[in-house]
Amino acid sequence: MKRFSQLALPYIIWAALMLILPMALIALYSFSNQGNTIVAFSLTFEHYVRFFTDPDFLLILWRSLLIALKTTAICLLLGYPAAYFISRCAENIQNTLILAITLPTWINALVRTYAWIGLLSEGGIVSQILAFLGFEGVEMLYTEAAVLLGMVYNFIPFMILQINTSLCKMDHSLLNAAADLGANPRQTFWKVTFPLSLPGVINGITLVFLPAVSSFFIPKLLGGGQFFLIGNVIENQFITVGEWNFGSAISMIMAIIMMLMMMAVRKIEERNQGGKED
Amino acid sequence: MKKKNNRTFGKILMTLMIIFFYLPILYMIFFSFNEGKSLTSFTGFSLRWYQHMLASHDMMESLYTTFGVAFIATAVSTVVGTIAAIGLSKSKKIVRDLMDQVNNLPLMNPEIVTAIGFMLLFITFRVEKGYITMLLAHIAFCIPYVMLSVTPKIRSLDPNLADAAMDLGATPWQALTKVIVPQITPGIISGALIAFTMSIDDFIISYFVTGGGVKNLSIMVYTMSKRINPSINAISTLVVVIITIMLIIINVVPAFLAKRQQKSEIKGHHILLPASVLAVVIVAVAIFGRMGGSNSSLPYAGESLYIYMPGEYIGENIISDFEEQTGASVIMENFDSNEQMYIKVANGESYDILIPSDYMIQRLIEEDFLQELDHSKLTCMDLLNDAVKDMPFDPGNKYSISYFWGMVGIVYDKTVVDYADLEREGFDIFLDTKYKGDIYLYDSERDSFMMALKALGYSMNTENEEELNEAYTWLEQCVTTMEPEIVMDEIIDNMAQARKALGITYSGDAAYIMSENENMGYYLPESGTNQWCDAMVIPKNAKNPDLAHEFMNFISSYDFAYDNSSYVGYTSPNVEVMNDLAASDYEGINAYLPRIGYEKDEVFVYNEATRKIISNLWSKIKIVASNAQ
Repeated sequence: MKRFSQLALPYIIWAALMLILPMALIALYSFSNQGNTIVAFSLTFEHYVRFFTDPDFLLILWRSLLIALKTTAICLLLGYPAAYFISRCAENIQNTLILAITLPTWINALVRTYAWIGLLSEGGIVSQILAFLGFEGVEMLYTEAAVLLGMVYNFIPFMILQINTSLCKMDHSLLNAAADLGANPRQTFWKVTFPLSLPGVINGITLVFLPAVSSFFIPKLLGGGQFFLIGNVIENQFITVGEWNFGSAISMIMAIIMMLMMMAVRKIEERNQGGKED
Repeated sequence: MKKKNNRTFGKILMTLMIIFFYLPILYMIFFSFNEGKSLTSFTGFSLRWYQHMLASHDMMESLYTTFGVAFIATAVSTVVGTIAAIGLSKSKKIVRDLMDQVNNLPLMNPEIVTAIGFMLLFITFRVEKGYITMLLAHIAFCIPYVMLSVTPKIRSLDPNLADAAMDLGATPWQALTKVIVPQITPGIISGALIAFTMSIDDFIISYFVTGGGVKNLSIMVYTMSKRINPSINAISTLVVVIITIMLIIINVVPAFLAKRQQKSEIKGHHILLPASVLAVVIVAVAIFGRMGGSNSSLPYAGESLYIYMPGEYIGENIISDFEEQTGASVIMENFDSNEQMYIKVANGESYDILIPSDYMIQRLIEEDFLQELDHSKLTCMDLLNDAVKDMPFDPGNKYSISYFWGMVGIVYDKTVVDYADLEREGFDIFLDTKYKGDIYLYDSERDSFMMALKALGYSMNTENEEELNEAYTWLEQCVTTMEPEIVMDEIIDNMAQARKALGITYSGDAAYIMSENENMGYYLPESGTNQWCDAMVIPKNAKNPDLAHEFMNFISSYDFAYDNSSYVGYTSPNVEVMNDLAASDYEGINAYLPRIGYEKDEVFVYNEATRKIISNLWSKIKIVASNAQ
């Protein structure tokens, strides 16, 4: 029986090389000054100091977190009712709707975001609709609203699918039980349905928040060159400025913030599940 | 009653959402058939952008790369992930938990961090970046998804299943393939599907680990999206069609087969069959597509020329003409800025021809990245303008042959901007709040600091830190009080449509803008500006320097230099071409002819310390601009 465990060995080696080593390299670069750290490593905290003592870097980090939070909130507020609606449909309609939501995610995200440039630009469909509604000359492209829209567009399917999965897994006899025990529909929803769908909500939040924080092509395509988020700062450090040590330090900071957030989210999830057992 | 209201609300929401999801896709498909270049007005039906797409080596290649990488990465990661998941399920708990954490790295890290990890890995261990590195990275981030989907299925199996099979005389291999795998097939299939989706849609990781001109669809769109290019719509439509057909096959064929199976009781892996047939067809098409069009009688048949140059910087048919004439195939990669090019070259990526600017050529020469040209192979020297020969960055043209040249100036809307303001203020017009919200800056550290330094009356090659800081303050004032948009090549189409009143542009782009829109003018400030020259050079590690020399001769010859300059709008170094075009296509367009001999105009000189300062200050400016919104 144990002999099957050897099957894992090649993958453990592969994972050490392809998953752990890259992270170790980022850490190494971030604490070093020389370009190639393997050759000349000298410990320094200067890149971290530089980041945390500059209000502009902190502000851009804050703005990136904020826009990711906004994206997540919008996705949740729109995604939950949609997922709920889908879970209440007949099974064949449900499958069709799920397919309809999944299909666009199979088409390249860059391509779909690029399409928004035409839609949002001056004289495009969106501004024509706005003009028809009485809002003449609203500039859409290259604004924060455009970036937000691009992010919601790209990430909301993940939210809907996750919530829908957990709603469908739910034992529907619980709802009848709640109704039999005299709960009104609102009570049933908040006391039974919503808590039971929480794992899906949390998965959805993770799947939206994580890419939203670090996205750099959405701000670049829809926000223009003067719209920088932390992902753009990192890209810029590596692709244009060429200061990889500083870029690695920002990456580390991002990774650590994300890790802390994920841990916090998991804690909430655990507490919630613990509460249920009481 | 209330319930009914809820359902109506749900229906409305769902309808709006479906519209939201599909509007961009339908829009894209619709405009791929547009006759004109506009993305906002439909002028007539045409297949022109499809012809464009099919003729574009780059675009078709990116399709092959996207699907090729996705299929191979899916196949490998599915097999490896399944085996690893089975192995781990029998391992000690400690190992299992540890590997769960490790697998979480790519799932829980921001994608850009994972991407940078891979990039540093390949660069540190000197693995040449290209198709293979992209494939390795894709396999690496796909495996955890496969395992995530397979592992729960394994856990739900009876742990003694394999033992039972072996007690009954099965070999371990048989126990694995005949007993365990069939039980977990649904998990394997959904894992493979997730892996495929992740791979085919990936941009961030591919973008950081690719090299040598290898592009997938995402990278191509990202690098081409600066200019309006409806061929992107055409290729996207093609992708939509391919994906839809695949989804239909995956969804419909198993159901169809299952029905037949019920009748005939034939056993079989019903989903693997259509999937593998599809894979074979696509691979066959890919190989067939690659093989076409090689003609062995030509001098360079079968050879490749790797060119790394700015985007949208070459005439439409030049490359295909060159390929036809020589039999070689050209692999083209584009950069946004000289700095971006430098980083790739300095990291050992190999190209046959680079087309950087003056100061960058100086840097590449100083840092020993270039090889000397063999002037006995060059027939083009006599054709070139004296103004772009023997330049200070490369005396005697030992390393470089000019490609295009010109100035940096202000393009302005004559109907909005008062010419007297331009004359009085020069570059300072970019601080004049009369034009607030109506200006474009160019996203280039060099040119932005040039503008600020010239406005302040300094030399643009200053090494004086105080002057540089003053320039920083000048730019800071501009981005905090003027609400500029910082753009790159988007400026060309936007100014041609008069979206803003003022912008900083290269003369060649200004010539194009003015030829598109007669209300546009071009002004060179009296404080002086940058005179620049982009030239072709051959790096030391070039694989085909002979062909590179051939290309230099080809592009400098009258006919092709004429096509090139006439199409792109930049000034040709071929003096005859320049004079002919100034008298024909670009008659009356002052941007086409550079200002020669004005003493306040300068050419960039490279200085490492200054570059570093400017580079950091400019990235600071962009952060400040972005925070100011």
